Amino acid sequence: MNQMTQAERSVQTGTGDVKFECRDVQVWYGEKHALKDVGVDILDKTVTAFIGPSGCGKSTFLRCLNRMNDTIPAARVGGQMLLDGEDIYDPRVDPVQLRARVGMVFQKPNPFPKSIYDNVAYGPRIHGLAPTRADLDAVVEKSLRRAALWDDVKDRLDDTGTGLSGGQQQRLCIARAIATSPEVLLMDEPCSALDPIATAQIEELIDELRDRYSVVIVTHSMQQAARVSQKTAFFHLGHLVEYASTDDIFTSPKDPRTESYITGRIG
Amino acid sequence: MSDPAMPAARARRSLLKTDPGTSRRNAAERRFRAYGAAAVVVAMAALAALMFTVFRDGASAFVQARATIPVVIAADVVDPDGNRDPAEMAGVLTMSYGRLLDQALTREIERRNIQVEGLTQRDITGFLSAQARADLRRAVLADPALVGQEIEWRMMTSSRVDGMLKGRVTRDTAARDAKTSVAQYDLAMALRDQGVVRAGFNWRFITAPDGSDSRPESAGLGVAILGSLYMMLIVLVLALPIGVAASIWLEEFAPKNRLTDVIEVNISNLAAVPSIVFGILGLAAFINFVGLPRSAPIVGGLVLTLMTLPTIIIATRAALKAVPPSIRDAALGVGASRMQTVFHHVLPLAMPGILTGTILGLAQALGETAPLMLIGMVAFVSTYPSAPPQGLLDPASALPVQIYNWTQRADPAFFERASGAIIVLLAFLLAMNLIAIWLRRKFERRW
Ligand SMILES: Nc1ncnc2c1ncn2[C@@H]1O[C@H](COP(=O)(O)OP(=O)(O)O)[C@@H](O)[C@H]1O
Ligand SMILES: [Mg+2]
Repeated sequence: MNQMTQAERSVQTGTGDVKFECRDVQVWYGEKHALKDVGVDILDKTVTAFIGPSGCGKSTFLRCLNRMNDTIPAARVGGQMLLDGEDIYDPRVDPVQLRARVGMVFQKPNPFPKSIYDNVAYGPRIHGLAPTRADLDAVVEKSLRRAALWDDVKDRLDDTGTGLSGGQQQRLCIARAIATSPEVLLMDEPCSALDPIATAQIEELIDELRDRYSVVIVTHSMQQAARVSQKTAFFHLGHLVEYASTDDIFTSPKDPRTESYITGRIG
Repeated sequence: MSDPAMPAARARRSLLKTDPGTSRRNAAERRFRAYGAAAVVVAMAALAALMFTVFRDGASAFVQARATIPVVIAADVVDPDGNRDPAEMAGVLTMSYGRLLDQALTREIERRNIQVEGLTQRDITGFLSAQARADLRRAVLADPALVGQEIEWRMMTSSRVDGMLKGRVTRDTAARDAKTSVAQYDLAMALRDQGVVRAGFNWRFITAPDGSDSRPESAGLGVAILGSLYMMLIVLVLALPIGVAASIWLEEFAPKNRLTDVIEVNISNLAAVPSIVFGILGLAAFINFVGLPRSAPIVGGLVLTLMTLPTIIIATRAALKAVPPSIRDAALGVGASRMQTVFHHVLPLAMPGILTGTILGLAQALGETAPLMLIGMVAFVSTYPSAPPQGLLDPASALPVQIYNWTQRADPAFFERASGAIIVLLAFLLAMNLIAIWLRRKFERRW
């Protein structure tokens, strides 16, 4: 994957339909206006990278997409976010159902201190996706295979998930997220706690996941954004400064702030 | 570029020589370590002294001197009508059985040819426990076939004779004691030498109900242990679910606002309220207002529940707080509801902390005395409470109150009982702490 050329990737760019349509998104933490007028269309079957200096609101925006911000009492969200044309902040929407469709992988690998099997099976179980034990086994195997972890753990599914290496734990978290068959996969700096080899494996995985899911990845590494994404959004001080294809962002940025950032002058 | 704030190139010093600053720092560290070690030594010494005195005074309560002598159950005494009807035999008072025992002891002294100077009838009557007559009467009423027979009967001696065998009562103190005499002492020693009177493990101390002021040798902890057990049961059944539910709500669901702040502060305050205040509350609320009986484990249990709740809530909240937020994020992230998150992930991880806190709260409640005295659990109770739930309304005692009770009685034999009861209480507390440690080990998980 890392060897993939720029040309190869640009061919695959922008093949999806719009999955998330966001307009005028605002987020306040108490008095602090953390996200201002963000409008972005996130495409299906595409990896979208959010980059920007730390504290600029990347995670905040990502957490709006599956309403994880609901769990922060001080957070208020405004604007419109449509998933397949439906407003996810409509009062009739149950965030629990939304999160089954919009999975999330966190910065620090956070497997449950349960067996590997139970980690992956948890989502399908609570959503009733696998009525029989055989179905559940199949879902677990499929998810672990997609997360490129099956061969590592197939003989020790009963071992606890926290006993795996950091990279394996993160792949387990990815398997857990995709076990509920989400449509969108949100990843908040999924490699920042990992070593370069594990990072390369995850990046490869992200590229493979693109054929099914819309993947949104927050990263502080511009190289990573350039390697894995087709679309890139640059955030700065709570604003979405520029959103374009990854090639354009890195080769011909339109906004001077983007240029300063990717050339290393802010950040 | 050289920084002007930096001292100009410090003269290089040998690493083999410590500079004055470092020596001072090392000395301070050594001093601090010495203070710490000294503090530990003081604490351990205090504990050792406490344990030593308690065991010195109390260990003998678990041992009881008993006499084994052949007793003739004379038919004309216990069954004057001669028809072996237990209903009629029940009319014969304990006193008559005392005469049988006195005769048996006198015969035994003669048979063994024991000569004691100045031995009076009073010394012989007072040699055996008053409880022994009652026990014999009960045995005969339960089995009328014993009437007319001679049986080898093992019975408790009086507390003074018991004290002589344990060394508490000496020949000198016996001379000055109105309740015994030198002759009784000599008799006790002679019977001990012949193996008639022997000290053995005293199960009755653990199982029997309290004894009256004149019979310390028959006093036991049975009712107190049952009462304490019933109360712990009530505390566990009420305080654990209420405390855990309250903690979960406060920690996981409650909005952070003025009201929850006030609740939080008040729970901490409640933990600091002196226990006697809970006793007054229990008296006013449960006895005077609701009309529950005095001395009942249900009232004690309710009062102790109120007292234990803040402890359990504080421990549970600490345990819930200690569960990393990333676990909650993980569960919410795959679409678990908040309740599922709590019950599937957070609560199991908090369990060791919750259980430890609960057991420590129970241990605290087990040793609580003041509130129980206020609700009348200090009364003399000589009958066992029946099995729960009815028994929760029967009068009962409690371990710490029983200890207090015994220390207030005049006879020095009760002091031994009180110390023995402290050992029992400490054993229960130790067991509970061990269970807490074991639970923590068993459920401990790393994440
Ligand atoms: N839970 C929170 N409460 C208050 N302020 C927050 C919270 N989370 C983030 N913020 C603030 O919002 C801004 C954006 O944060 P975040 O989205 O985490 O930035 P990024 O992920 O781009 O580093 C920061 O200034 C941060 O201090
Ligand atoms: Mg972030």
